[in-house]
Amino acid sequence: MSRSGISRTVIAIYLLTVAGTAIWLSAIFLAPVLAGRGSAGAARLIYDAFSPICHQVPGRCFTFHGHPLAVCGRCLGIYTGFAAGLVLYPFVRGFSKLELPSARVFLLLTLPMAVDGTAGLLGIWPSPILVRFVTGAVWGTVLPFFFLTGLADLFLARRRKVARTLENIRTNNVE
Amino acid sequence: MDKQKPEYLRPALIAGVIAGLLSGLPIISAGNCVCCLWIVGGAAMATKLLAKNTSGILTSGDGAIVGALTGIVAAVVDTIVKIPLQPYNMALARRIFEKVSEFGTEMPAGLDGLLDGSSGFLSPGLFLLGLFVSAAVYAIMGVLGGIIGVSIFGRKKPQTSPPAAPLPPLPGPGDAP
Repeated sequence: MSRSGISRTVIAIYLLTVAGTAIWLSAIFLAPVLAGRGSAGAARLIYDAFSPICHQVPGRCFTFHGHPLAVCGRCLGIYTGFAAGLVLYPFVRGFSKLELPSARVFLLLTLPMAVDGTAGLLGIWPSPILVRFVTGAVWGTVLPFFFLTGLADLFLARRRKVARTLENIRTNNVE
Repeated sequence: MDKQKPEYLRPALIAGVIAGLLSGLPIISAGNCVCCLWIVGGAAMATKLLAKNTSGILTSGDGAIVGALTGIVAAVVDTIVKIPLQPYNMALARRIFEKVSEFGTEMPAGLDGLLDGSSGFLSPGLFLLGLFVSAAVYAIMGVLGGIIGVSIFGRKKPQTSPPAAPLPPLPGPGDAP
């Protein structure tokens, strides 16, 4: 497939991911706003939606408009880091090549969060919200480089398969 | 090297069931609080299983597919496992929040209602909505885990055999032992 074909696919997936991330982050901040305005039912729906993926313990969440965000400090850091990674992606990787980051880079950027999480779990140190946010953000920054590459590769493989099938049909018809 | 078409379903089922069980059981499920550890980890394991059973190099697209399937299976298993455990989970959550509030932290608005409402009967509509949301979220996390898994487990070095060393000449009948 041509470089322009790869670029178009990656750009499309990139823009969809940016839109999805914006909606995701907005929902996190919308829950406390709704709770503050007395729309407890609507706020509860959003808190419920995030409950499978976050403990939402109030003492570990930043507050907004006087109410906890829909996710904890670490999760917010991860999603904010993901958004930052999306901003960096065009400059670091560009849209015309697909390459996964090395496992070493991934493990290196996971280390701060792993150390902080383990130390907090074992009671070695209290792990303040800001530290959770920062270590989560460090990890989250590398995630778009996996996510976008994987999805783009998947869609390009499907397009190549369809193109091959159509070519085979055309060849058989000519014969 | 020709790559056989990967069989996604079996690794996804195995890893998805394990991830779903870990996500559904009380206390152990807290692992998901670290960015869906069980789901991301389960999807990465599914990629390892897929790599083991597939010749050639896995692509990140393969990881995305098996990861998404793992996430969906995990969501179904998690939801089923949580049904009989729902009252216990809510009581545990209430104890945690009460413990935290002892340190002066306020409970979020509507939380009392949430905990009271959730410890009783769950309507089929809410059950399906919860399953749908879990499946969507776990599938996305699974895609991430699968792609990360490819980066860690999926890249195999091409097997190049070293050039065969020349065999020593066989001793002839006249050679001394």
